[in-house]
Amino acid sequence: MSSGKKMWSAALLATAVLAVTAACGSGSGGGGETADGKIKLRFSYWGSDARQKMTEEVIKKFEAKNPTIDVEGEFSDFDSYYETLSTKVAGGDAPDVITIEIRGLREYADRGTLADLNGKVNTADIDAKVLTTGAVDGKQFAIPTGVNAFSLVVNPGLLEQSGAKLPDDTKWTWEEYVDLASKISSGSGGKVTGTQLSWNPAYLQIFAAQRGEPFYQGNKLGLTPDTIKAWWAIMQNLIKTKGAPDAAKSAEIGATSVDQSLLATNTGAFGMWWSNQLGAVTKASGQNMDLLRMPKAQGATSGGMFLQPAMFYTASAKSAHAAEAAKFIDFMINDPEAGAIILSDRGLPASSKVLAAVRDKLPEADVKTLDFLDKVKSELADPPAAPPKGASAMEDILTRYSEEVMFGRMTPDDAAQKFITEANASIAG
Amino acid sequence: MTEVSVAVKPPSTATKPRRGGHRSTKRSRREARAAYLFLAPWFVGLLVITIGPIFASLYLSFTDYSLLEEAEWVGWDNYVTMFTEDPRFLSSLQVTTIYVVVSVPLQLAFALALALVLDRGLRGLPLYRSIFYLPSLLGGSVAIAILWRKVFGAEGLVNSVLAVVGIQGPGWVGHPDYALSTLILLHVWTFGAPMIIFLAGLRQIPRSYYEAAAVDGAGPWRQFRSITVPLLTPIIFFNLVLEIIKSFQSFTQSFIVSSGSGGPADSTLFYTLYLYLKGFKSYDMGYAAAMAWVLLVIIAGLTAVNFLASKYWVFYGDTK
Repeated sequence: MSSGKKMWSAALLATAVLAVTAACGSGSGGGGETADGKIKLRFSYWGSDARQKMTEEVIKKFEAKNPTIDVEGEFSDFDSYYETLSTKVAGGDAPDVITIEIRGLREYADRGTLADLNGKVNTADIDAKVLTTGAVDGKQFAIPTGVNAFSLVVNPGLLEQSGAKLPDDTKWTWEEYVDLASKISSGSGGKVTGTQLSWNPAYLQIFAAQRGEPFYQGNKLGLTPDTIKAWWAIMQNLIKTKGAPDAAKSAEIGATSVDQSLLATNTGAFGMWWSNQLGAVTKASGQNMDLLRMPKAQGATSGGMFLQPAMFYTASAKSAHAAEAAKFIDFMINDPEAGAIILSDRGLPASSKVLAAVRDKLPEADVKTLDFLDKVKSELADPPAAPPKGASAMEDILTRYSEEVMFGRMTPDDAAQKFITEANASIAG
Repeated sequence: MTEVSVAVKPPSTATKPRRGGHRSTKRSRREARAAYLFLAPWFVGLLVITIGPIFASLYLSFTDYSLLEEAEWVGWDNYVTMFTEDPRFLSSLQVTTIYVVVSVPLQLAFALALALVLDRGLRGLPLYRSIFYLPSLLGGSVAIAILWRKVFGAEGLVNSVLAVVGIQGPGWVGHPDYALSTLILLHVWTFGAPMIIFLAGLRQIPRSYYEAAAVDGAGPWRQFRSITVPLLTPIIFFNLVLEIIKSFQSFTQSFIVSSGSGGPADSTLFYTLYLYLKGFKSYDMGYAAAMAWVLLVIIAGLTAVNFLASKYWVFYGDTK
């Protein structure tokens, strides 16, 4: 039978194709060498297409200086980043250099996934207190890329159009903030809403610090129910006085990205974000934006604002090329040429030398942020340590109970108790 | 993966009668061998991609597994926690049950109604069929999340229409009392698949039945009740079973409309979304695996009940 041979070869071919595709899928593990004998270094990060292009450019620079190393960027959008990363780690296929945020740091560091970079990367030009946020139990697992501060963003033009005046942000209170927001809403005839609500834990952290409470105390929450309730009361007052949209619209806006925020669509005068979002908000709205100090609680001695690394570079504990991984991180952090490409994409550069070198090249919004951070520097609280593992879920937990209160489905007393219980359970492990 | 599996038989035994004798046995054996070889890639896939992970997840459901560390055996802990200490588990089950119980009958009724209209022999039927099928293709895409906010948002299309008649509607997607209904509508809107199946079923019913009934003086309603529905029950049953299973596993709708949180205030927290959050946000993959098995048991149980109940209402022409 003549087709017999054909059949056999077809079947063999099919199996071979499957084997090849399977081999491609599994990649070449943690420590590979490419065909031409170069060391292959895998670097994972998240972000936009623009960041990917920029990062590829930096990688090329690094490879030009280190011809024996071939860096392969593994890039995904933020929503699926941790999902992909945890799966790779679980499969024993962790990238050599891993980008991580402060929320995820201890999830990974506490579980033995990350290598101690102490003495392997030059950190002389990084502010010591900022650097400490990447250390857990005395081990420097993570090197901060750059810093941000959670701040109040304002559109001064819209504010003045509604007949209100810019506040003196060195001494304004939460009550004044609520009043101002509702004045903007009424003054503009409903065209502009004063502010939009935020359930970012950083916001509550600042508010709590003004009352002398830390957000985390070891593996427990340091917040009292009174503080949480007082914080919710601000937002309830904002809704009541129409300084912010009602609970349903707030929940709707809260589920969208910064581009669709009230501020970005020129339908609101205030909003709270990490300072590196100033550029995005300015660009989306096409109008002039400024950063302001957060309002203070009555009698507060500290403004509670703080610097936090935008992200960290870490190295896998299982990497077969630990030295090369450290070298790459060092390049990303300290090399002015790398800095000149990255600019403020990963926060305002943590290295003071790099920052000085690229300062003139920064886009306008970042210069504004930098000036703002310089201005408030002396008032800032120490950067808080990385939150305990389990804190990745904190924003979800806080948002959920906050919404229950805003919709009146739970009393603030009840919700504060339940929030503390659930949050503690989440971070206890 | 499993849906595309096709039964393959050695060609000679299936198509030609056996001639007997030594030579042909040898030949059919050789062909059988070839067939198995062709099957091998699929079989390897089944083993590695489907059966392996199924057993792995069964094992993991009895462990404390963070994905980043080795799994640690904890016995029935995950299952016990679920029903005794986790109010979110129960609320996700409740949300999903409401979603299934409301959306499946609505969707099937809608699909049947449209199938009946299309079956009347409209001109350009293929065009309409394609248009009505379109939502089923789009239902899970990210663009729909944005569309749904534009339609059901506080300043969305629905509220703009309501404003014309003087009603100020709430922000539907942002309100815990209404958010789930918008997802139910989204599900009903993706009625294309059952509609196509209904349409095929309707074509199977002999026209002569209707003609005979018309001669006996039966009106359209009577015809529908006494001919269409009984003869269509196997199709209705098929769609019902399929849609119940599918909607219990719904994930995308809630994930994209609530941007992955199940919010506002957990009102759209589908079972599978909670499973995902547990596994990938709380690093509790053991618990997530246990949830997956509970879901399997629930769906298997419901499907069994469905099959048992079908004896009383599904009419197969050849049995009675």
